[in-house]
Amino acid sequence: MKTLVNVARYHMVDRVTYLALPWGIMIFSFLVNLAIAALVPAPGGWYTAGLLTIYVFLLISGAYTMTRSLPFGLMLGVSRRSYYLGTALLVAALGVVYGLGLTALQVVERATGGWGLSVHFFGVPWIMDGPWYQTWLASFVLLALFFLYGMWCGLVFRRWGTPGLVAFIAAQVLVVLVAVVAVSMTHSWSAVEQFFDALTALAVTGVLAALAVVLGLGGFASMRRVTV
Amino acid sequence: MTPTISATALGRRYRDQVALDNVSLTVEPDSITGLLGRNGAGKTTLMRIVTGQEFPTAGDVRVFGEVPAENDAVLRRMVFVREEQTYPDLRVGHVIQVASWFYPNWSEELAQQLLADFELPLRRRIKKLSRGMRSAVGIVIGLAARAELTLFDEPYAGLDAVARQQFYDRLLADFAEHPRTVVLSTHLIDEAADLLEHVVMLDRGRVVLDAAADDVRGTAMTVSGPAAVVDEFVEGRAIWHRQRLGSRASVTVAGPLDVAAQARARTLRLSLEPLSLQQLLVHASGISADEKVSA
Repeated sequence: MKTLVNVARYHMVDRVTYLALPWGIMIFSFLVNLAIAALVPAPGGWYTAGLLTIYVFLLISGAYTMTRSLPFGLMLGVSRRSYYLGTALLVAALGVVYGLGLTALQVVERATGGWGLSVHFFGVPWIMDGPWYQTWLASFVLLALFFLYGMWCGLVFRRWGTPGLVAFIAAQVLVVLVAVVAVSMTHSWSAVEQFFDALTALAVTGVLAALAVVLGLGGFASMRRVTV
Repeated sequence: MTPTISATALGRRYRDQVALDNVSLTVEPDSITGLLGRNGAGKTTLMRIVTGQEFPTAGDVRVFGEVPAENDAVLRRMVFVREEQTYPDLRVGHVIQVASWFYPNWSEELAQQLLADFELPLRRRIKKLSRGMRSAVGIVIGLAARAELTLFDEPYAGLDAVARQQFYDRLLADFAEHPRTVVLSTHLIDEAADLLEHVVMLDRGRVVLDAAADDVRGTAMTVSGPAAVVDEFVEGRAIWHRQRLGSRASVTVAGPLDVAAQARARTLRLSLEPLSLQQLLVHASGISADEKVSA
């Protein structure tokens, strides 16, 4: 366990990548959105996709842990397994803390009527619109999901290079395409719609959590024979 | 006693190239072994397999009697300093600090001393360092870790002669106080020769020499003097190399010369010079290349 904690600490030494940049960029995006909302009031309230920046940045951080940080990590006398699990520990810690931060900001956003400008930056309809603990849970799951996906992409790149990464992403696009075609061919779009309508925010969080576990296992499998 | 490293018929094949071919060797505890050979001979591949960073395609390797790959208990007992180690975007001080968390025998005192010796700026980012300074960071980690098995792969790329001497001195001094197993791969053979107790030479992925350094040193002599006298003296000996310059000749012969032969050389006023480790290895790699061609 000490080794795993040390691996997580090793990542956190780089506070710029894991702390300053994700929050800095997201807050910048938030302020820009706020400025626009102040200039152009929208009667129905402002819904932005600005929150996505922090998730995308965690995806990049995840890739970074398995590319730039990996060789020195493995020089430190840790196995691939420990390195991966230690990094996963970092994911969990960041997810809990950052999720809490995002939840707190959402609470403030609600209390101030969208920062006095009807801006919904931290509140996302449906999935992050319920009670605070639900927002926290959904934030945690989504942060972990993006980070783990980044880790897996980084490992695929590390082992199979750019062609491998392109093939990896293309394969995912194909899976989605096959699903879309299958739904269209069977004329089941209305059934799909009904399914999602019936799904609660909590259930969606559960589905995303399951997806995160799959990504984590996929990355773990790719890690097993990576070389530096 | 369990050897620190033991490799049996180790092989590593890449798509179009054999990096290691049937390598068997043992490294005894508390010794300094030189791993020598030309570029691409397989030195780095061997060390990467020993430290579990790469997987063999044939054979077996044990470190402290166990398989090193994915074995935390074994891995944390060794440190591997690579020629061109990739670091994340951190400052020198951070990298040293991180290393200190992982190695159980880490000596902060030695680390600080080495950082001062090499005049490393703690606040500077690793990527802003010169090649030599980046090598020095690796050396600081490699020595201060005091790992039971310490592997250096060309640790001083870009380092000047003074800094290299500092490395040898520090290594020897710390080795005397805290014995450990050291494997050092290097191209600067003569420079490191005095340090080495054992030499292993690789050529095209094969072990071509595996012997105690002292045994290797006496294996050839260069005899020089007037051509006629030299020719008479070397008569009947295995000749490795012959060079003539006007009336003088210089001939390299195999095997140690006994006391009688040495006395005879003195009376004939011939000069005798043992071949340096570096010259010997250049010669050894030449021989193995020829053998390959004729085979």
